[in-house]
Amino acid sequence: MALFPSDFLTRLEYLSIISRRVFRGSLLAQRRTMQLGSGIEFSDHREYTAGDDFRYLDWNIYARHGDLLLKRFQEEQDLHVYLLLDCSRSMAFGDGRKFDLARQLIAAIAYIALADLDRISILAFTDGVFDNFPLTRGKARILQLMKFLEGLETGGNETNVAAAIQGLLHRQSRRGLAVLVSDLFDPKGFQRGLDQLRHRRFDGHVLQLYRDEEANPGLLGDVELVDVENESVRKVTVTERSLRTYRELFTAHQTSVREYCRNYGLGCTQAEAGVPFDELILQMMRASQVQR
Amino acid sequence: MSFGVPSALLWSLLAIPVIVFYILKVRLRRAPTSTSLFWSQVFDEKPPRSIWETLKHLLSLLAQLAILGLLVVAIADPYLPGQFMAARRVVVIVDNSASMQATDVGPSRLAAAKEKAVRLVDGLRFGDEMAVVIAGEHPAVAIGMSAHAPTIKRTIEAIGSTDCPTAIQPAIDLGRRLIGTHPLGQIVVLTDGCFAGSEQLLESTDVSLEVIGTPAPNVGITQFQARRSLVDPLGYELLSAVTNASDEPLEGRLEIELDGATVDILPLKLAAGETWSRALEKTSLNGGRLTATLTQLKTPAADKGEAKPFDDPLNSDNRAFAILPPRKIQDVLLVTPGNHFLQKVFEANRLVKLSVAKELPAEIPADTVVVLHRKVPEKLPPRNVLVIDPETSTEAWTVGGPLEQPIITKQDSDSPLMAHLKLDNVAMPKATQLTFPEPPHILAGAVSGEPIYASFKRTAPLKGVVLPVSLDEGDLTFRTAFPIMVANALSWFGESSGKLQPAVATGSVVDLPLNGVKHDSTIALNLVSPGGESKPVLLSASQPQADSVDAASATVGPLEQVGFWEVAEVAKDPKASPVVVGAVAVNLSNPAETDLRAPEKVRESVMRPLTAASWLTRPLWYYLAVLVLVLATVEWFLYQRRWIR
Repeated sequence: MALFPSDFLTRLEYLSIISRRVFRGSLLAQRRTMQLGSGIEFSDHREYTAGDDFRYLDWNIYARHGDLLLKRFQEEQDLHVYLLLDCSRSMAFGDGRKFDLARQLIAAIAYIALADLDRISILAFTDGVFDNFPLTRGKARILQLMKFLEGLETGGNETNVAAAIQGLLHRQSRRGLAVLVSDLFDPKGFQRGLDQLRHRRFDGHVLQLYRDEEANPGLLGDVELVDVENESVRKVTVTERSLRTYRELFTAHQTSVREYCRNYGLGCTQAEAGVPFDELILQMMRASQVQR
Repeated sequence: MSFGVPSALLWSLLAIPVIVFYILKVRLRRAPTSTSLFWSQVFDEKPPRSIWETLKHLLSLLAQLAILGLLVVAIADPYLPGQFMAARRVVVIVDNSASMQATDVGPSRLAAAKEKAVRLVDGLRFGDEMAVVIAGEHPAVAIGMSAHAPTIKRTIEAIGSTDCPTAIQPAIDLGRRLIGTHPLGQIVVLTDGCFAGSEQLLESTDVSLEVIGTPAPNVGITQFQARRSLVDPLGYELLSAVTNASDEPLEGRLEIELDGATVDILPLKLAAGETWSRALEKTSLNGGRLTATLTQLKTPAADKGEAKPFDDPLNSDNRAFAILPPRKIQDVLLVTPGNHFLQKVFEANRLVKLSVAKELPAEIPADTVVVLHRKVPEKLPPRNVLVIDPETSTEAWTVGGPLEQPIITKQDSDSPLMAHLKLDNVAMPKATQLTFPEPPHILAGAVSGEPIYASFKRTAPLKGVVLPVSLDEGDLTFRTAFPIMVANALSWFGESSGKLQPAVATGSVVDLPLNGVKHDSTIALNLVSPGGESKPVLLSASQPQADSVDAASATVGPLEQVGFWEVAEVAKDPKASPVVVGAVAVNLSNPAETDLRAPEKVRESVMRPLTAASWLTRPLWYYLAVLVLVLATVEWFLYQRRWIR
């Protein structure tokens, strides 16, 4: 099945319209850059000093309190959306549904952002950023973006979220919204990378994808486990008990991701790779609106 | 321990690949996983292996080797010497007589006996052998000593019922011969005990009696015979007897039919244990097949209540059969100068069409018996002749001097010409000496050896009888012996002995005379049972009787079913009906078989148990196979427990 079927753009347009009219852009949070400037929207007060312009005195406060305070105004800027796509081999595990869904989600989020006149950039990473789609603006770029995504292949030796985010921070100095689309099977832990993101005051949203076989493996007996990323081999005897332990660990991992994101104000969406991308986007929109 | 197939122990070499595969381990299935993040935690956090986990794979190997070892030993068929020393020889005698067809024990006593016999087979131990003997009229070995249970069971299932009386003792004797000198021989008799000597069997140490059946009431025909009347050519006599072998009175009917036509219906009222007997006189020219049937049997109710139908448990004795030989009208030409009494003797015989002449005519119709009185031509006519008081010599004899007051000292009672005839006290004052060129068959001879009544040789198929006695003197013509003598001679000429053609008992072997079949005939013959089954039969090799040059006979039997048995020519055209040349009626007619109540002592006897199937009576390989199953279960448990915990 094609990564971007013939009705893909139609569905993206639909999502974009829904995002604007129904959810009022809540998907991308429409966070304003807190730049104080000559915009028309009131932002804050400061004390009057000699030489300030009388036109910005807040006469209402003077009338009530006798204090001379000056109004300050916001200056709006477009949102930078950075999309980090995990291209490690774990994403292509099985029939590659996880990787295809990730790319479709990247394309959908990019389109919604571009439709809102925001800028987007895509960084593909495995154990480090190995490819990127530079910051761009305008809906017309969507085709090139889709072509870029189609050309991506999985590889690398491991998933390294921290390296990916470091690569983002090195490339982009301006803060924005970073959307991480990955399965978060990082041996060194996903928290390190996201901590860096937070420290640099980026807004973050984690989109974790997994497969049902990863949550509930159907193995039993004497097997040779082969890690598709680092190709390590381990001969084990899988019993019912070890399966139960595995499921508990997986569930704990999922929980830790949710808790981390909740604790640090990051958006979090976890989905099984069998969910259609547009359904997932709508789910994200609903969740964002509730948060607001 | 010894082994029946020691070469099978070579299969133990299979242990080598079992151990090799265990050491090498089977190549594991490769299972790719997207991440070993969680699996590492699962297996790195496992507690240290317990002794059980360390040892269970080794135990699995040991279990596999033990399974292989047990299987190899089982294939080698081991046995202990003691098993054969304790082996027994068992002879099971199955009584398949008529009384075993009784249905008081469902579906029949014989079926119950066969079922018990099959259970005895199940109780055989390893090394035991069993033979099965069928106790019919003539005991037969159904299967010789065998240890193969399925074959023995099949043989038992194939035992069929018969209408024959019981003959247990010959079967026991046969069983003892089969056991021979074996120290552990046993004979088990499966019977209903309805035979003479059943109580004595209880005292035998090597015979166990298993009694089957209940003291069921029964009624049956115990006698049914027919014969031609001695005095009435058309008449015949029936002897019938019915026995009520029950403890209650019974009523019913005895219906007698001749070739399907009712001859008589006799009401029966029998007290408990009563035998009703009656001799009936009837007439029939053509003869035929007589059938007697008990019908409408019921138990009269007490106090004028309604009678209850009687459910007769045995059908074999409810019907009886007999054959009445036909009579034919014989043309007789009497050539006599005149003797009123002689003429009357022939005229009185309703089976004779008499012509009287003073001189022998030139033309004599075929199939005419010529009776020559006194005047005898030198060349006898080409017909069967009875010559009385010849005056002249012929080609067959030379007339000698007179015999005064001959005293008859010798009579051939076996000859059909002398049937029912005694000439001891008949006054024959005057007779004539006859000299025969060839010795005649003397039917009645004087003390001097002179024939007084004889049949003489003629060119076949002609027959001749001569009575060189003067009828004018003496009282021969006044005696009943004379018409009997004449009737016998006429019957003999017509090859119809007129003698009793008796019904025989089931199980009999009879020499059946065949009508119209010559002694040297080569035609194919079949013996047909009442049930319609046919099998080939050969003519008897015995020499023909002097009086019946050409008549052939066939030895048939044992006749195991009641009814009419026939000997028929094999028809060349399959669509044509076969020609019946001989028939015999067979009846049960046995009061011992009709009485289904075994003696009380026999009924109450308890059979010594032969054996009971137990775990320790099977061959060793059986137990080894069970062990293999147990070990295989253990090994399966060990194998499965690797990932089910």
